[in-house]
Parts: sequence; C-alpha cells; structure tokens
Amino acid sequence: MAETLLEKANDFLDKAQLAAAEFQQYNQEQTDRIVESVFKAGFNNRVKLAKMAQEETGMGIWEHKVIKNVLGTQLVYESIRNEKTVGVISSDPKTGITEIAQPLGPILAVIPVTNPTSTTMFKILICLKSRNPIIISAHRGASKSCSETVRICYEAALAAGAPEDCIQMISSGSRDFTHMIMAHPKVALILATGGTGLVNAAYSSGNPAIGVGPGNVPVFIDESADIPFAVENIISSKTFDNGTICASEQAIVVTRSMEKKVREEFEKQHCYFLNPEEIKQVEKIAIVQETHSMSPFVVGQPVSVIAAKAGINVPEGTKILLAKLDGIGTDYPLSVEVLAPILAFYAADDYHTAVNMCIDLNYLGGIGHSACIYANDEKRILEYSELLNAGRILVNTPTSQGAVGYFFNHLAPSLTLGCGTGGKNITTENITAKNLLNIQRVSRRKPNELWFSHDQSQYYDESLSVDEIMRDYYKNH
Amino acid sequence: MVTFNYNEEEKIFTATFAGRLDTLAVQRISEIVHINLPVRDGKSEDTIVFDLRDVDYISSSFIRICVSVAKQAGPGQFSISHCQPFIKKTFKISGLDEMMNVT
Repeated sequence: MAETLLEKANDFLDKAQLAAAEFQQYNQEQTDRIVESVFKAGFNNRVKLAKMAQEETGMGIWEHKVIKNVLGTQLVYESIRNEKTVGVISSDPKTGITEIAQPLGPILAVIPVTNPTSTTMFKILICLKSRNPIIISAHRGASKSCSETVRICYEAALAAGAPEDCIQMISSGSRDFTHMIMAHPKVALILATGGTGLVNAAYSSGNPAIGVGPGNVPVFIDESADIPFAVENIISSKTFDNGTICASEQAIVVTRSMEKKVREEFEKQHCYFLNPEEIKQVEKIAIVQETHSMSPFVVGQPVSVIAAKAGINVPEGTKILLAKLDGIGTDYPLSVEVLAPILAFYAADDYHTAVNMCIDLNYLGGIGHSACIYANDEKRILEYSELLNAGRILVNTPTSQGAVGYFFNHLAPSLTLGCGTGGKNITTENITAKNLLNIQRVSRRKPNELWFSHDQSQYYDESLSVDEIMRDYYKNH
Repeated sequence: MVTFNYNEEEKIFTATFAGRLDTLAVQRISEIVHINLPVRDGKSEDTIVFDLRDVDYISSSFIRICVSVAKQAGPGQFSISHCQPFIKKTFKISGLDEMMNVT
C-alpha cells in the first residue's frame, strides 16, 4: 500500500527526533568536529555547487554564487567556531546565574530558489553547531543543487561522527507535504526563507518560526554623500548575483537638487534611465499585475535578458535599468521589490519629503528588513536610522553584501535576516547558531537585600501611597 | 495653533497646524476645526488638506480627528501634507496612513 503523506511526514520527523535525542548527548568538541567537517566539505564544493545552482535555476551569476557559498561556509564557520553552544556557556558568580545551552530539536529549513546552495549550507552549519537535526525543504526550482549540497554535507557530518539522519531533505514537489511537515508537532522550529506565501504558511503552522520574507530596500543619497562612491557601491550591490539577495537596493531617493548629479553619475557608470514608455514595457514583464509582485521570469536575470523580454533597446554593457517614478504603491508597479538589476528612482522636493518617501517604500512590503543611507552627516544618518523600520540600516555600504554581514561590517554573517515584529519575527538580528538554542538559566540563591529588608506588611496597607512605600523600600540604601 | 485657508479656484480647503498637538491642544482646537471644515451633511465637495509642516508632535486624538475628517470628506478628498518624517512615521505606525494620503 502506498505510503500516505502523513506517514511520510511521521517518518521524517521520527528519524529527526531520534537524531535529536542522540545529538543532545554530544559534547562541544564532538559538535565542533562535525561542524568543521561540514564546513570543509561545503567549502571544497563551493564552485561546483555554485555552477549547479546557476544552471538549475537559471538565475544569477555563478561566480557571485561562489562568494555566497563562501559566506555560507567559511565566513559563517569563522563566526561560530569558537562559540560555546553545548552545556554551560556562561557563569556569572556575581549574579549567580549559569547559562546552559540546550538544542531545540528538529528544525525545518525552507530554502529559497534565489540563494539555494549557500542558504542550505548556512542553515546546516548553524543547526549542527546547535546540535539540532535539520530537514531541508528546497524550492522545486533548486531541488537538484540543494539535494547535492545536502548529500555532501550529510556525508561529511557522518564521517565526523554525527548522528544518523541529522540532515534530511524533503523531495520537492508537494506544497501540501511541506505544509504538513511545518505543522507537525515534532518540529521544534521552522527557519523559513522565501516568498511571502511560504513564510506566512510557516507562521500559521502553529510551530515556532523565524521567517524572512521580502524586503523593499530604500536607499537615500543625502546631499552630504560622495555621489560617485555611492553610485559605484549601489551598482556593485544591485548587480551582485543579478540582484537576487533580498537585501539588495530597490529604490534610490534623492532631493531634487541632487537629481542631475546622481543621474549623470549612474549614466557615467553604465546604467540606463528608462523613458516613460520603456518603464511601461518593463513593468509588464517584471511585475505580475494581479498580485503586484515581481515576476519570477526576471528574478536574477541580467539587463540584457530583461531588455530583450521587454522589447527595449539599451546600450550594450548596461548594468542597471532605472525607472524614474512619481509615486509609490500599486499604481507604480516598479516601486515594489524586484530581485533583478532594476531600480526605482525618486527625486523629492526636499530632505523631509525624501525621507518620507523612504518610509513609504519601507512600508511597501519591506517592513523590518533593511534600508540604506549614503551620507557624511552623522546627524542625518541617525535621524534616518530612527525613522526607518528596518533591522539593518546600512551606512555608505552596498546592501546586498552589507546586510548579510562580515564583508563590510561586523554584523553576523547570515543568509537569514531577522525582520523584527514588523516582519513577524521575534528578532531583528542576523540569524545564527545562538538563535537556535534554548538557554536555561540556573539561578543560585542570591537573596535580594532590598526585598528582604523591607517591611512587606506595607503592601497590604491601602492607606500607604506608592511614594511612601518606595521611600521606605530604598531607605538606607 | 491652527489657521484656515480656502482656495476658491482650486476648491482646496487647507488647515495649517503648528506646534505640539497633544491631547489637551487637540481638545482646544477640535471644535473650531470641525466648525470650519467644508463638510455638510457628511459630504464635502472640496478637497481638504491638513498641512502639518510646523507640527512637532501628534497625539492619538489628533489622528482620530484626521480619521473622522477623512471619512466625512470621502475617498481621495482628504490629505495630510508636509509632514516631518517622524510625524509621517507616526501615521505609518498607526496603520491609518493609507486612508488619508499622508505626504
């Protein structure tokens, strides 16, 4: 008799739970040996897996995917290798609190088509470092490359003594099955990176989830900015893997007084401003009208392909298409997130209007994700940062490579970027191994002198005011 | 704290606010704002604009006035202009900005 989906799901989770049971007995040394082995295996296959991912998905640039694989292996490994994730991880004699790290249990990892092999290796490493078995659910468009990544990592993990079934992969194809696994009671956490539908499914599964959905990253180029530097960085970021990182720039906002200079600089650096007719043509192929979201047919494609699909002619070697728009929202299709070398461009009357536009862009599908400012005015940098609802505000930094950490700053290297409560996340951090632990706090008896020296009968006396009780509470301290 | 202007040619009624619009201030100006609004029988043939360029704080009671005016004025007939970014952010967080066209 054919195995039902439920039986199949139970089988995956039963195996994962057994792996979890075995894994929680491992000490730090054993754990670190497994993580090192997996890092090395993944790293050694960085080029092969990058090429596989590019060939299978038809998205991005394989050389850039190599860098993503390096981020997902070497840089992530460097950032977690010395971290304590097993047993006692801290002890403070002053407070009497000892922290003990415990694994969470089976983790379901949803992998996006845009960064398949790098995200798979990244999630495997942080799960193994925290002694959690992982079940990979890859986008169907990247199942082969993810499957090969899982094979390589799993073999390396086993060779280093990891528990059997500590890494499993759901064969792609059935969305229902993925949803069933998401809601399975034995899943401890869902690490969901992908489209809005999948991330929302993770949140509504009833299991804890860290989900990263879309961004819509506004970039404000202030009057104090170094314009050639800003433009050069934006281009290097938006063309990185053809814009497939969800933290890539989506809209450039300048004041009217800056417009000409910025525009000329983009043109000088081989970018092309679409005319109104061309904007309409690009909108037709880049945005799905019914859902007001990006079309998968342009994701990770170079300008030459996008231009050909749209039926427009652009100079050879054009790096980015820019669309000057008059507004933000569904009436202006290119104001939403497009993971391709297409940028919206806005000129505002003044500084306040420019920042207000960035706020509008931020709230148009990108709450909690990332934002960027180019400026050499500290006051404006801080003002902008406080106004935007973004987990990461990148300053004078390419957002694709900046938001994922390590290259341009000291953010944790990560391919899962927390978006705070605005993005329905519990954290705005770059997710890493420490986010996958249950931390127990062993609290030694350290009686609080304030409490015990205070006459507690006062609390039952309604005639005493808060000020009177507080005065007595702190008396002689 | 609030001044009114009517552009007959363009049929735009503008209320320009200034200062700190906390609950007490809003209580003081609420009546005068409603009396002056070009809303009759729950309808307005004019565009109503609240200009907030010189406002440095808004309370929830002011946002409630905005919502009430937006409903009375009807779709597309009410907007809030010249917000400083932190005022814009306040409207965003209230989740009510879309019905009011806040710029």
